[in-house]
Amino acid sequence: MAGAVLPPKVVVTGLGLMSPHGDDPQGVFDRVMAGESAARPVFPELAKPAVAATVDFDESRWFSKLQLAGVDRVSRLAVAAADLAIRDAAVLDGIDPDQVGLYVGCGMGGGGSLEVAYRNPQMRVPPLTIPAFMPNAPAAHIAMRHKLTGPVLTYSVACASSAVALIEAAKAVQRGEVERAIAGGSEALVMPGITIAWQAMQTLATVDAEAPATSCRPFSADRSGFVIGEGAAFLVLETEASARARGARIYAELSGWGMSCDASHLSKPDVTGQTKALRAALRQAGAQPADIGYCNAHGTATRVGDVVEAQALAAVWGDALPGLKVSSTKALHGHLVGAAGALEAIITVLALQRRQLPPNMHCRQPDPECPLTLVLQPGQAQPDLETAMSSSFAFGGTNAVLIFRRH
Amino acid sequence: MSCLNELQKLIQDKYDVDPTKLDVNGSLREAGLDSLTMVEFLFAVEDHYGITLPEIPPTMDRLAELAVVVDGVLAERGNGAAAA
Repeated sequence: MAGAVLPPKVVVTGLGLMSPHGDDPQGVFDRVMAGESAARPVFPELAKPAVAATVDFDESRWFSKLQLAGVDRVSRLAVAAADLAIRDAAVLDGIDPDQVGLYVGCGMGGGGSLEVAYRNPQMRVPPLTIPAFMPNAPAAHIAMRHKLTGPVLTYSVACASSAVALIEAAKAVQRGEVERAIAGGSEALVMPGITIAWQAMQTLATVDAEAPATSCRPFSADRSGFVIGEGAAFLVLETEASARARGARIYAELSGWGMSCDASHLSKPDVTGQTKALRAALRQAGAQPADIGYCNAHGTATRVGDVVEAQALAAVWGDALPGLKVSSTKALHGHLVGAAGALEAIITVLALQRRQLPPNMHCRQPDPECPLTLVLQPGQAQPDLETAMSSSFAFGGTNAVLIFRRH
Repeated sequence: MSCLNELQKLIQDKYDVDPTKLDVNGSLREAGLDSLTMVEFLFAVEDHYGITLPEIPPTMDRLAELAVVVDGVLAERGNGAAAA
């Protein structure tokens, strides 16, 4: 079509993390590359053993005691990580805050505040329970901290929340609705009652008593489920033109994305739904399956989930499947639910930048039903890595796939 | 014996507000305790003394005034125990 204009390229210009492996993105990536697990036993009082990946968080860097009132941990983590991303990108310098958008993923909101309120034996509910718990609180606190008066949105799509937030932010930037965007997610669900709820669903990994940190085993024949993680992760997105004009450092291009919904089951994933999202992302990125050098899988290590994901990849990649290097880093940082998409996007961006492949750890015996080329050893380099992918396949059926390209 | 000193200590413990800098007749709002924080503080006062406070008017903004109300509730509770 004559005169057709390509949509502007969307690039990543800032990273911010408050994760179980720390708050320095390069340091976190180093630990992931080394195959270090942040999972530890928690809540010894529970009937069934539990393991989780928690954040060593010094709130005083961002909050005075007075500022902590009525702020759930999920919002505290969010404010910290978003602040780090904002500083990393200097994204608020020289811009009218109306022109900046904030897109935050969160699966459950302030679950901790709700649990504390309902556990109180005298039924005395702390008065700030509702504003602490509401799922839009993390976004609200970030906006208040930085006076973000443009669009401030929260996406609650379970495990795909922050991947969806990134996609919606990218669309807004591409359409020119906002000049720059801060997008990511936060989750803080490591609480006894919430843990029992996850255990009751039979989706959490059986704890390996001898090596609890290795309990989450994506794509392994002896996998038994996931380990919950907490934390927050944010990326800054803007057009390539905007980044160049202000001399911002560009980490990578967000070159494609795809979304779909299984519309079939609340928790059981669906191959067709996942393949739709995968194909849509490839199409938008103008990429062939063989172009993707690395896939950071959703890989929750559930019996069913890993097989369905492998089948979806096989359906789309066909003969090119052996050339796709796959790993799930959930084995090491846990499943951050609302923040998973963003944390894993950051890991994927750094894999591209450093041309290194995060390992798929704790996989003693790859399941033959998941015939993927797994990155089984830590420390692997991929000198020709150009394009990488991050997938999030959520409870409720929403699938979100992100493709990043070296810039 | 007024509970004012104890309330000052409670504010310090919870919010790091230095009692020497807090004017008990000055505005709590201006000291940094907004309406939401005040509501949370009243809850903490109830927990601390094991009492239920009456409806506190939202205009009440001075620690000295709050101390008078709390003293009243404590005195009533004391009288009730003595009469029993």
